[in-house]
Amino acid sequence: MRKIKKILVANRGEIAVRIMRTCREMDIETVAVYSEADRLSLHVRYAHEAYYIGKAPSTESYLNIEKIIEVARNCQADAIHPGYGFLSENATFARRCGEEGIIFIGPSPEVIVQMGNKIKARETMQKAGIPVVPGTEGSISDEARALEEIRKIGLPVMIKAAAGGGGKGMRLVHREKEVLTALRAARSEAQSAFGDGSVYIEKYITSPHHIEFQILADEYGNTVHLFERECSIQRRHQKMIEETPSPLMTPQLRRQMGEAAVEAAKTVRYTGAGTIEFLVDNDLNYYFLEMNTRLQVEHPITERVTGIDLVKQQILIAQGEELPFAQKELVQQGHAIECRIYAEDPDNNFMPSAGKICKITEPLGFGVRTDGYVYEGYEIPIYYDSMISKLIVWGNTRDEAIKRMKRALYEYKITGVKTSIKYLEKIMNCPDFIEGNYDTHFVEKNRNTLAGTARCNDDCEDMVIISAYIDYLDKLSRVYGYKEFVPAQNRWKKTPLTHHF
Amino acid sequence: MSIEIKLNDRFALVEIVRQEGNLLQVKVDDKIYNVDLMHTADGTFSIIEEGHSYNIELLTLEQPKKYIAYTLYNTYDVEIIDAETRYLINRGGSGLESSEKNIFSPMPGKIVKILVSEGDPIQKGDTAVIISAMKMESEYKAAIDGIVKKINVSEGDTIEGNQILIEIE
Repeated sequence: MRKIKKILVANRGEIAVRIMRTCREMDIETVAVYSEADRLSLHVRYAHEAYYIGKAPSTESYLNIEKIIEVARNCQADAIHPGYGFLSENATFARRCGEEGIIFIGPSPEVIVQMGNKIKARETMQKAGIPVVPGTEGSISDEARALEEIRKIGLPVMIKAAAGGGGKGMRLVHREKEVLTALRAARSEAQSAFGDGSVYIEKYITSPHHIEFQILADEYGNTVHLFERECSIQRRHQKMIEETPSPLMTPQLRRQMGEAAVEAAKTVRYTGAGTIEFLVDNDLNYYFLEMNTRLQVEHPITERVTGIDLVKQQILIAQGEELPFAQKELVQQGHAIECRIYAEDPDNNFMPSAGKICKITEPLGFGVRTDGYVYEGYEIPIYYDSMISKLIVWGNTRDEAIKRMKRALYEYKITGVKTSIKYLEKIMNCPDFIEGNYDTHFVEKNRNTLAGTARCNDDCEDMVIISAYIDYLDKLSRVYGYKEFVPAQNRWKKTPLTHHF
Repeated sequence: MSIEIKLNDRFALVEIVRQEGNLLQVKVDDKIYNVDLMHTADGTFSIIEEGHSYNIELLTLEQPKKYIAYTLYNTYDVEIIDAETRYLINRGGSGLESSEKNIFSPMPGKIVKILVSEGDPIQKGDTAVIISAMKMESEYKAAIDGIVKKINVSEGDTIEGNQILIEIE
């Protein structure tokens, strides 16, 4: 066992900052790496040390294995935490860390290969007796075969990148004439996102619920699950809102699925933190979907209801310690919800919206946590994900958590880029969500309820007009000494306190 | 001095009637408001009107007289129409800049694929170009039937927001 004293975080954005926060609490030195576009990103400013690793496109920086290894070696980092995305599920990277004597905070390269390739993962789980969704037995690279397979499985089908995740390289096909376009788009996206264009095809389950189980496993065979996360609220196949416990779950199903998740992890001798994703239909049948061999974006809701810092556990497991708790000691206390704040335009098919953050006011108060990385004056680069923060709330009951989330979303204000904040608030007010009556079609199904904006009244518009008028007069009087309007000597803050980069 | 202010499609006439420090009496069209208004130099406004508290953020765009205004739920385009602006509007005529004829980039990104060539006929709804931004690929379609007149970008180019990518005739 070797105590980790310095960790290089091979990631950016909110997750890099989130990992470093735990490192600081554990007295572990932190090392950031950054691309040309990220010199002013918060993770660089938060870390003890920071090193440049290449140009803005992630293939030249955050995916550059040798460069990151070189930095880790030079700064004598004991371990590398890969976060999620980028190299987090890259077996070559994990192997190279091992060869250099650097601890990779994650499972072994063998497990990453086995579970990272979704086709292999399916086979493994099938053998372990865990139910899987009907689909192709291997990856498909030629279009004719794909068409043939799709006829066999029957529409609708889901085309997925074999190396995929996060909704990239994924297409749902309802009609035969859409097959070719969808296949090409999926392959092209898969190629550019993961450097591997192979895809596989799966039967599409109607009214599916996306429910996943968090697991933790140490090197000594102790494996526990930390209950479920309900992740069915999605748009463009990317999650928007997650909650735990799931409104769909029954104690019996939780026990069954939890045991299946632990079994799945044990089958591959998993170590570290991982997630088993399941599809659950309305009749509570569950199917293994995939295993994510890394920390998930939505891990904080699990942390909130269990009281366990998952990053801390990852680090402790990586330095060879035994899990400090057993399954029976784990409980879900209260209810947690996470909303992902994306820089995007919900009124325009969730189009990403890059640009400069002008003002930001983050929510605070009882039961509220934000994991973010943008600050006033920060310019969101076009090269990376559009998620700018995660808002996590906790309440004693689901009802209290929803009300708290509404309050927190009310407080959350970001100007300069378009965000999903108000859209999320509308979801919190949506009867289907409040009743817990939803599946992955929620956004589509409630399109009309969620569309448009509640217009503020005329008085409110007039206040906007007055504001613009005063701002204009204020500027005029400063330039011309305009007489009819006297700028107040003490009109709040004359100089902004923030000095932007 | 009354000033015309444009809020989205609405034109309103605004005038200060009285001022006492941060207490203002302001006329907007025919309505008189008594407001307690405080603001920062960078556009954060707190207004109390008849006991109602309003928070407004003004964001100045490239031109000093144009703003994006944020209220709790709405975002507005606001413009001060003073003498200078009016002159510019009149001189510029009302020749509508046909955004329909051109395919614009709504945001910075990278050109993944161009599916048309100059001289090609194109139909409304046809995909002309695929752009990748923030790891998502989006298709951009023609808004009218026509002929591809000019292509201003190539595959692999990094593009700015609001750039004309393809001109259609």
